[in-house]
Amino acid sequence: MKKVARIVTPFVIASFTMGSVSAMAAPSAVVDGLVTTQEALNADQVSADRARVMELLSRDEVRDQLVAQGVDPAQVEERVAALSDQEVREMNARLDQMPAGANAVVGALFTVFIVLLVTDLLGLTNVFPFTR
Amino acid sequence: MRFQLMRSARWPGALLFLVGLLLSGCATTPPLSEGTRSAIPARQLVDEVPFQGQRDYQCGPATLAMVLEHGGRTASVDELIPQVFLPGREGSVQPEMLATVRRHGLIPFVIPGRVDAVLQEVAADRPVVVLQNLSLPWWPMWHYALVIGYDLDDEGLVLHSGETPRMAVSIGRFDTTWARSNRWAFVALPPGELPASGVNRETAEAISAFESVQGAQTSLPAWQALAGREPKLALVQFGLGNALAATGKAREAARAFRRAVEVDPEFAAAWLNLGLMLRSLERMGEANDALNRAAEIPGPLQERAQRRLEAR
Repeated sequence: MKKVARIVTPFVIASFTMGSVSAMAAPSAVVDGLVTTQEALNADQVSADRARVMELLSRDEVRDQLVAQGVDPAQVEERVAALSDQEVREMNARLDQMPAGANAVVGALFTVFIVLLVTDLLGLTNVFPFTR
Repeated sequence: MRFQLMRSARWPGALLFLVGLLLSGCATTPPLSEGTRSAIPARQLVDEVPFQGQRDYQCGPATLAMVLEHGGRTASVDELIPQVFLPGREGSVQPEMLATVRRHGLIPFVIPGRVDAVLQEVAADRPVVVLQNLSLPWWPMWHYALVIGYDLDDEGLVLHSGETPRMAVSIGRFDTTWARSNRWAFVALPPGELPASGVNRETAEAISAFESVQGAQTSLPAWQALAGREPKLALVQFGLGNALAATGKAREAARAFRRAVEVDPEFAAAWLNLGLMLRSLERMGEANDALNRAAEIPGPLQERAQRRLEAR
């Protein structure tokens, strides 16, 4: 995917520059050209425009990942829009390893049951309500 | 099965070994500073957090429904499921928990990973969303719950958790399960309210992320509150300046950008924005001084400031 980004990025940058659409500066509508707060937070990036383009591509990738994980395509747009730039980067980097809070019922293998029961009684875990 | 187990002499030994390993790894006393202990009431129960029971895998949406309702935003679990639940993972991930709070008009602030911080928020009448691993690291059972109360005398917390309202858990047991998520917790507050456990650069980042979703008008009270609490953070003055500029308050915006560069004279973006604001107010001399400063500071904005100076 990085490779794709490397190929696509110059074209996207070019299309933005040639069209000179100021969609990227939309948040500061009253005075033109202000540096936005999100931009300032991403200030360690080499170039603000480039960072913005990467951000858009990165949001596309997260969108694809969410759809692949079974999210309704009608919902995915709004879900991605509500993420901050940093959260988009995190989700791109490690969605697979992220803990997904679920409280799934443990498919209780007997050994696991015993170990968790003991650790529950020791106060190290909190799986079985009856141990409290 | 049972017969085989009893015949195997290795079992009890292995189990003991495992438990010993776990004990040495995780058994630490939860840190609760004396300072916090004396600064907050001995017991507290956040008012009016109506319990929402979870169904299969839905602790994320259920926890969100409760914390949103406490913040005055009503959203049903059924409405929240398609917004936050990830079918492929049979659960909800942290960034999307925060994002969903934003969509409903509250600002999610991740708080420091200390029991102190959780208790400080609860003492200030805010329920705290926590991510726990109720099981062990090698067999994770990730779970979102809502801390709604505590009692220092019996070292206990009260949680709305899963299918159990007002579940009592000792602080020690809670902390071992919480530690496995690197002690991740957040509060969800209306714009204008700030975390009781302290503010820093991340607080500004949280408001900025909220602003990208809900707009400057809605976020302005949050920036004003943060600037009131931490006037010496240049980034906060900068964020306030942008929110003021976007809502048409040009003079106040210029003053905020001015304060930002007073705190941090190397803040190129703030010089640039100050220059542009002053220009819009037709204070050309001051505007050019500010743009010149922006053009002098090495970095990605240098060229942008230069272009602005040329295009007067």
